[in-house]
Amino acid sequence: MNKIVEKEYFSDKVIRLVVENQKIARSRKAGNFVILKIGEKGERFPLTIADADPVKGTITLVVQIVGVSSAKLAALEIGDCITDLVGPLGKPTDIELKGTILACGGGVGVAPLLPIVEAFKKAGNRVVSVIAARSKDLIILEDQIRRWSDEVIVMTDDGSYGRQGLITAGMEEVIQREKIDECIVIGPAIMMKFASLTTKKYAIPTQASLNSIMVDGTGMCGACRVTVGGKTRFTCVDGPEFDAHEINFDEMLMRLGGYRAEEVVANNKYFQK
Amino acid sequence: MSLDPEYLKAERSQEWRAALRSKTKNKERTVIPRVHMPEQAPGIRVKYQDREVNLGITAEQAALEATRCMDCVTPTCIEGCPVNINIPKFIKLIENGDVLAAAATLKETNALPAVCGRVCPQEKQCESRCFYLEKMNLESVAIGHLERFAADFERDSGTSNIPKTAEPNGIKVATVGSGPAALSFAGDMVKNGYDVTVFEALHEIGGVLKYGIPEFRLPNSIVDFELENLRKMGVKFETNFIVGRTASFDDLREEGFQAFFLGSGAGLPRFMDIPGENFNGILSSNEYLTRVNLMGANSESSDTPVILGKRVAVIGGGNTAMDSVRTALRLGADRAMIIYRRSEAEMPARIEEVKHAKEEGVEFMNLCNPLEYFADEKGMVNRMRLNRMGLGEPDASGRRRPVPIDGSEFDLDVDLVIVAVGVSPNPLVPSCLPDLKVSKWGTIVVEEDKMQSSIEEMFAGGDIVRGGATVILAMGDGRKAAENMHIYLQNKKSNPSKFN
Amino acid sequence: MPDLSVKYLGLHLKSPVIAGSSSLTNSIEHLKAIEAAGAGAVVLKSVFEEEIYLEYAHEFDKLGPMDNNLEFLDYYDLEIKKENLKKYLQLISEAKAVLSIPVIASINCITSQEWGFYAKKIENAGADALELNMFITPTDLSQTSQDNESTYFDIITRVTQKISIPVSVKISPYFSNLGGMIRDISFSGVKGIVLFNRFYSPDIDIAKETIHGTNVLSHESDYLLPLRWVAIMANRVNCDLASSTGVHSWETAVKMILAGCNAVQVASALYEKGFGFIEELNRELANWMKEHNYETIDTFRGKLSQENSVNPAEFERVQFMKNFGEYKSGQ
Repeated sequence: MNKIVEKEYFSDKVIRLVVENQKIARSRKAGNFVILKIGEKGERFPLTIADADPVKGTITLVVQIVGVSSAKLAALEIGDCITDLVGPLGKPTDIELKGTILACGGGVGVAPLLPIVEAFKKAGNRVVSVIAARSKDLIILEDQIRRWSDEVIVMTDDGSYGRQGLITAGMEEVIQREKIDECIVIGPAIMMKFASLTTKKYAIPTQASLNSIMVDGTGMCGACRVTVGGKTRFTCVDGPEFDAHEINFDEMLMRLGGYRAEEVVANNKYFQK
Repeated sequence: MSLDPEYLKAERSQEWRAALRSKTKNKERTVIPRVHMPEQAPGIRVKYQDREVNLGITAEQAALEATRCMDCVTPTCIEGCPVNINIPKFIKLIENGDVLAAAATLKETNALPAVCGRVCPQEKQCESRCFYLEKMNLESVAIGHLERFAADFERDSGTSNIPKTAEPNGIKVATVGSGPAALSFAGDMVKNGYDVTVFEALHEIGGVLKYGIPEFRLPNSIVDFELENLRKMGVKFETNFIVGRTASFDDLREEGFQAFFLGSGAGLPRFMDIPGENFNGILSSNEYLTRVNLMGANSESSDTPVILGKRVAVIGGGNTAMDSVRTALRLGADRAMIIYRRSEAEMPARIEEVKHAKEEGVEFMNLCNPLEYFADEKGMVNRMRLNRMGLGEPDASGRRRPVPIDGSEFDLDVDLVIVAVGVSPNPLVPSCLPDLKVSKWGTIVVEEDKMQSSIEEMFAGGDIVRGGATVILAMGDGRKAAENMHIYLQNKKSNPSKFN
Repeated sequence: MPDLSVKYLGLHLKSPVIAGSSSLTNSIEHLKAIEAAGAGAVVLKSVFEEEIYLEYAHEFDKLGPMDNNLEFLDYYDLEIKKENLKKYLQLISEAKAVLSIPVIASINCITSQEWGFYAKKIENAGADALELNMFITPTDLSQTSQDNESTYFDIITRVTQKISIPVSVKISPYFSNLGGMIRDISFSGVKGIVLFNRFYSPDIDIAKETIHGTNVLSHESDYLLPLRWVAIMANRVNCDLASSTGVHSWETAVKMILAGCNAVQVASALYEKGFGFIEELNRELANWMKEHNYETIDTFRGKLSQENSVNPAEFERVQFMKNFGEYKSGQ
């Protein structure tokens, strides 16, 4: 179980893996995530399930190499097994016919955005997707997003692909010209913060999918706690999606840095090898 | 689990026991001082997370201590034990040199004697009812140390007693969780011939025994040994499986599971909701202990990080707080402090834990309570504000209520804070079963003598029923649930129409 | 049509009639009816710190043998506090969503830290103002009157330092220097003082030989005490004044305003007469104003306060000889 059956490089830092796990594939809904562990001494860490095939019994994960654990996962080859894999975790996305959806994905956040875009489209919504990354080689899944969107705007910071600018510029353009009934933002926390501030101006209901630090992922430890609407919530069981306008992003960004020092040491050690 | 006086009388009057009693007069027994558990020296043991503090008594010491027991006509010690272990019997077997038989006796009632011998609060249970203490005002027989001795002896002897199991009856049952409640349930059910699968959400089996209780109190190897025995008996274990998420209860029913034991424990952390509590470096005890005990974060080879605080404050006064603060010390803290709002005498922790903690250099700041936390520009906690407390009117627990003393605020430099003020039942399973009757504070409501929930094929026990109690109580629940689920399933088999 | 609007705690009220803190101000349904009846503002039922200890005690009774649960229950009062507070904050935000009149939250605490803690959360939930229901019964005989009084100021400072919404204080009359207390409190940063709250009054049941509570609702005649003190202090305070206790008729409301009240709280009368009493108060107040040619409340507020009245001594001395000397039974 948990055997890797497909591996694709979107870029040298972003990898798509298809993993065999019948049970998770069957129970999974859009928005769910898994907790993985690579090796006996590995760390437990979360990844959103980008896709699932209940018939084949597989799930798709997209990982960006940012540290030791993601590197270890990316280093696995077809035929290797993920030591521990548990899920599906978190509350699934609330998919309904709302009208026009503005789907915004930053960097590797486009991977978990894809199934949500697909589900909203299938529910009868008009879907406008804005995907953004620092540069061309970090733009992923564009074709797949196009398949399920009525329109796609691509933004890159350096202008190497699509239009030059931040995701918020693309969002503004869409908001100015048409009525948006709901917005969903997934990507780096700082991106979600500014995307949320953008839609807040126009009072567009917005959901953000948070990537807090986790240990167990089942609500047991509180490492992933965030403040939403003044109340403490656990990303792993109450989220990972929350009303973006209620999220205390500054606190969340601060908490993401909780182990920065240890991460730097670990990265130095691992990547020197 | 027998308090039946006839049974106890019959056992007591057996020849070998009568012979033992006449061999040594009570007069000689009562002058023997209580055995002293050899302990690792505090200076040494604070350097090691994984070395047990209590080293165990020797065979000679055990035999001598067993001699102290006077084999009372009315063994009140049994009444003090939550699962009514036949205490005099196992002690006398030790005195008789029959340690393996003593271990077998323990196992008749207690699935994990090596665990209980180490973590039970004997001073509140069996030992508090010992004749020595109750009637003679002398130190009780060291029942806990003897239990540990017998269990360890059996493990070390290599001739582990695998209880006989009945013919497999093909009926599949499942547990949700793999802590003490579920493990003892599984042991009893498999003995009765059931096809038992233990489902565990984490990647390791043992629940709180693995992630909660540190190695220096309960080595993981001890737990693993017991798990191996259960495997040998035929219990199946599935890790990384969250019942209700990975597969639903309906899915499992479709796979043929006919009944469930819900033992998912009290894995929901509680915070105090005071300003600054979300700063980095402020962890729930669950998070801290899981990082260290389960993920081995204190070791170089583990990928999981943990903050190695130098000035560590642990809020709380129970066993979890003791475990957390002593772990912090072992991980290199210069100051490891307990901050508890009541006095030392009122702390819920085992007396032995408090004693060990003090020997190791833990600072006890009693009658103090946190008010607020402060952090540096990166959001890392660096200071906390506390209040001193006075004791007011007794509250419902009979203890005097802690009342903040106005104007007594003071600040403390800290770089790691662990909030150990209690845990609540994990809501995951109840949230999957809308028909499950759940109490106001999240515990599963069960019929107390059957451990059966409002859903007839679901039984429950341990912390998910009790809030947050002890290992021995959880085990007692598991056994009671097994006994009654067995009756329920057998009834169902012979009267299928009644259940459709 | 006379203008009934007033300013209280810096808030604009369309009527001086406020539904005071009681069990009737605890549900959205009632709050809506109170607004529909024409109240100028509403004070939500007080959050009592006591309730937490009572509930904590209750939990202990319901759970089994305590020793084994002690670690679980040790800090359980925090859970109860969080739950109670959560419900209250929800009430505040729900009320703010459906009402257009100001929503004043109310707290009553025993320990001084808690006042600040609750106050901040209440402000964040959206309350327009906060009424501190200060119920410090002087039964601790080791405390001097100065000790007792300084507690009030400690609490007021704690709260006003923490929040920026207006704070009012509801006090009892049991101070040896009541006038001085009221004046000093008015200079402590609060925006209003409510005279007076009512103590739980124990009584003795001689049949059962037990003590029981009584006196839940006020009586008509209870208004005389706040009336006197509003009149005496109206021109000596640095904040608004509101009356509480004993307004059971529209006439009494007029009296309170003449004495110097910016607003009048009603609670017991609503139990006895229903929310229609608010409509009656507004209606009759307007009629009286028309008859007496007052366009706005401000034009007659405080007209008969002590400072302004012709015979100020009337408020101070009972004028025993003159008033009671002439009393003959049967007259």
